[in-house]
Amino acid sequence: MTSLTIPESTARTPDLSAPLRRSWTPKWARTSFLYVGLWVAFVWSVFPFYWMIATSLRAKDEIFARPPGIIPHSFTFQNYIDLLVGAEFWRYALNSLILTISVTVISVLISVTAGYAMARHRFKGSVALPLFMLYGQMFPPVLLLIPFYIQLRWLGWLDSLYGLIPVYLSYMLPLCVWLMRGFFSQVPHSLEDAARMDGCTRWQAFWRVILPMARPGIVAVATWVMIHTWNEFLYASTFILSDKNRTLPLGLSGLIGQYTTDWGVLMAGGVITAAPILIVFFFLQKHLVAGVGGGAVKG
Amino acid sequence: MTARAQPAPALKRTWSSIFETGRGARIYPYLMVLPAVVIVVGVVVYPVVSGILSAFFDVTLRTLNSGDMPFVGFRNFQRVFADPSFGLASFNTFVWVVLNVVAQLGFGLALALLLHRIVPGIGFFRSGILVPWVVPSVVAVLTWRWMYDPSVGIVNEILVRLGIIDAYHPWLGDTATSLYAVTVESIWKGTPFVMLLLLAALQLVPKSILEAASMDGASGWRKLWYVILPQIRVSFAIAAVLTFILTVNNFNAIWLMTEGGPLNSSEILFTLAYKYGFQRYDLGMASAVATMLFVGLVIATTLYLKLIQASEGD
Repeated sequence: MTSLTIPESTARTPDLSAPLRRSWTPKWARTSFLYVGLWVAFVWSVFPFYWMIATSLRAKDEIFARPPGIIPHSFTFQNYIDLLVGAEFWRYALNSLILTISVTVISVLISVTAGYAMARHRFKGSVALPLFMLYGQMFPPVLLLIPFYIQLRWLGWLDSLYGLIPVYLSYMLPLCVWLMRGFFSQVPHSLEDAARMDGCTRWQAFWRVILPMARPGIVAVATWVMIHTWNEFLYASTFILSDKNRTLPLGLSGLIGQYTTDWGVLMAGGVITAAPILIVFFFLQKHLVAGVGGGAVKG
Repeated sequence: MTARAQPAPALKRTWSSIFETGRGARIYPYLMVLPAVVIVVGVVVYPVVSGILSAFFDVTLRTLNSGDMPFVGFRNFQRVFADPSFGLASFNTFVWVVLNVVAQLGFGLALALLLHRIVPGIGFFRSGILVPWVVPSVVAVLTWRWMYDPSVGIVNEILVRLGIIDAYHPWLGDTATSLYAVTVESIWKGTPFVMLLLLAALQLVPKSILEAASMDGASGWRKLWYVILPQIRVSFAIAAVLTFILTVNNFNAIWLMTEGGPLNSSEILFTLAYKYGFQRYDLGMASAVATMLFVGLVIATTLYLKLIQASEGD
């Protein structure tokens, strides 16, 4: 069948810009097939997200109505009010915020210097160390969980937010260093040499020239750390015991009741937990597009 | 300009000028790497070593309190092997990993091929399809748990209306379906990331090769198999390894939907180790399972990376 269509397709289409041409089906059929596929994938991907928002905006009797209707009949913010009136949710959000900021600041500071040194200088281990960092990311968290538990218990840091900081660093730092090294090695050597020729010290060249150039990379790494710390559940649920130290994901899972669960409030909490991530994502894209390259060498 | 006119800054002794020459210049990179190395040794290397070691000691709350943890050799491993739920969890882990990796790579590739076309509205579809990847995993899992609700869940309602099932089914509460129900969520969550990796690779495939294949009369499927897949082979392998690692380590999905239940029907090795460690507080047994997982992960990953390198050679 294909051999029959060859002369026809090559003769009819001198324009070769459509690489995946299958010439035995008409164009409109292929296009509609493509859009059907896209719509199926889109609905499949977005539906749970839609369902979370829809549930959070429904009144309680409608949530537990049977059969469930796909489109809400009436909108209410009662679930959000129920969620935000209590002090717990704010405490969880504050805990998550404190933890996210401290872990992000520490891991960015440390990985910036280490990544820079690995990208720029040759020293003993400058080749093996980055690879080791990459391997460090592979270790299963369940293996780290037990020694962490023993250590935190020994230090008396169980059930504390600051006890979680070193734990989260183990989960974030290796990949941060690896990524930072990648970003710094993309900054041209000539820039730093020029700065040094102009009389900058090592530190000034790094601080005034290299760091601004690597900013998109730093933003990307920082965003990655922020998102993962904000979402982390396993370590927090193991090491945080008391209600007042819970983070947001932990607080959310705590809303699951043994017998009944108020799904409207839970889904409202889900929307609020997901919102900062979605916003950060939006900004990340802007930064990455605006920052990369910059044409500093040309100018 | 001013810096070039006056050579003074080079001579002025500042705190940073000790790093400009001689010994200072040599230790400078080490100083910059030092904090990261110290922290990684402290929070990654040391815990991994001590975690593997504790698989060979009797570590329970009682021995932790007394501070005296006797060496027990392979007894923790023997106890793990004697536990019938370990066999079930191993089998479930296998099913869980195979289903997730195959489905995520398959769907991820299909989505990447769909989204690779430049058609009107493609940006809208791309951002929509990335939603599962962006939603925090705890939020996603809890949403799916709600959708699976046995009495008012939307999944049941949709399946009934589509005529696939006759009556509402407790997907997470039935030993026959719990693992598969969680797998569906995990595939939903993981596929966009695979799609992103493969889409990036597809965009690097040279147009000229595809055009040459079209000229030679290759059909869509043949082009996919003989031209596109070989071109994105390395990214595909990397995606496979990453999916494998992420799936073995995916705790949230199972724990927050079923906690491995009912009757261990959705138990994987990760959740089993977690239960040994933090429900029974038998940390030695938990370490034994975790060590086996660790060895398995390292072997599988190394093997796969070697395979890629080998196929790169020819």
